[in-house]
Amino acid sequence: MAANRQTSQRVTLVMLVLASVTVITLDYRGEASHGIGHVRNGVTDALAPLQRGAAAVLHPFGDVVSSAFHYGSLQAQNAQLREEIGALDDQAAGRAYAAGAQDAELLRLAHLPFAPNVPQVLTQVISRSTSNFADEVEISSGSAVGVGKGMPVVSDGGLIGRVSTAADSTAFVSLLTASRTTIAVEDTRNGAFYVADGGGAGRPLTFETVTAATPPRRGDQLVTSGADAGAYPPAIPVGRVASVGTAPGGLNVVVTVTPTAHLSELRFLTVLQWLPPA
Amino acid sequence: MNARSWLRLFAVVLAAVVFQVAVLDQIVVLGAHADVMVLIPAAAGLVGGPERGAVVGFVTGLVADLVVSLPFGLSALTFTVLGFGVGLLGLLPASRDAMSVRVGACAAAGASGTAFYALAAVFLHQHGVLGASAASAVVIVALGALVLAYPTLVLVRWVLAGSASSSFIPSGGSAA
Repeated sequence: MAANRQTSQRVTLVMLVLASVTVITLDYRGEASHGIGHVRNGVTDALAPLQRGAAAVLHPFGDVVSSAFHYGSLQAQNAQLREEIGALDDQAAGRAYAAGAQDAELLRLAHLPFAPNVPQVLTQVISRSTSNFADEVEISSGSAVGVGKGMPVVSDGGLIGRVSTAADSTAFVSLLTASRTTIAVEDTRNGAFYVADGGGAGRPLTFETVTAATPPRRGDQLVTSGADAGAYPPAIPVGRVASVGTAPGGLNVVVTVTPTAHLSELRFLTVLQWLPPA
Repeated sequence: MNARSWLRLFAVVLAAVVFQVAVLDQIVVLGAHADVMVLIPAAAGLVGGPERGAVVGFVTGLVADLVVSLPFGLSALTFTVLGFGVGLLGLLPASRDAMSVRVGACAAAGASGTAFYALAAVFLHQHGVLGASAASAVVIVALGALVLAYPTLVLVRWVLAGSASSSFIPSGGSAA
């Protein structure tokens, strides 16, 4: 009897594993993937009101918890914020100071120094991804207000990522550090072009270049080049060169790039209603 | 599992996913957040044995896959194996003796399930999930599991108590 039960358990396990593998395969191919996407979008839309409400209530609590681990960087950001507010004109600075840092961030987002002729949708981050392994955030704007898959997303600091999926009322933004991300960038110092790859959550962007070419230097500012079939508008800040090393074999240099935008503390973002030209 | 158990299971899993996306996802520490979804199959394995652990893991995983953008079915696969594996460990007499042991085992299983999920994701070409961020995710999930494991065990026991002939569902203490 014990043997029968063990056999039954193993059969159940094998059947469920096969079912899971079948579902994974269907998601990778063809029409089932579209159907699964529609179901996911429907669930996302259904849960969005709860997430917005919870975000409004829990964000201060989350800030307290997070600040305990990021106190040093918060001090530096606060100092930078005060400096930026001081650079605004007197009237704007007075309004921003009175309204607090949140309004100052919104003010900067409304006057981005890049992509000036691209229609924009101001939005708010309502959640990080439910999976700890998906490098993305969920925003409170979706296809109903013109947010579409593939649109670039920026903060006042620069490029954040791209819209990966868009439901009716929310959308997911894949961050530029995600492992599948590639971005064509241009070095503002020497005009050289590179292709940077995301290294995963919390990791810098990286790229390799031939040593004979004009090498980048630590501190160089990198912006989108607009060369990768127009996936991004040109001249959006991406990051700064953090290190330049030598790849095994000594022929190439390996460059790491720290994103300009603060990806760990996202609250308000702007979706650029930009799609690659046909 | 009978119809009553299935209804209870769907109710608990739906409540868990709402709690996950509305509350737990908002509290991010070291780039990660607690995960109650991975605890459900772990608790089911401990309380109901390997077969029930696998079934609960499959259902929980499918629901969890609806709210993440990684390959659909990945959570179902990992939670199925997790629930079965924990259920096999649950056959050990010591794991049935004290609630504190079960809570610790559930938390450890949750952390292991998170690590297993990352490995499975790499096999499905989701590169970049391994590294410091995966390590912090395992740590944060384990810490969150210490808080969430007991209520999860109570709820899963309530789910599986509706089914007949289970030798793994004492109200406390050993199954003997």
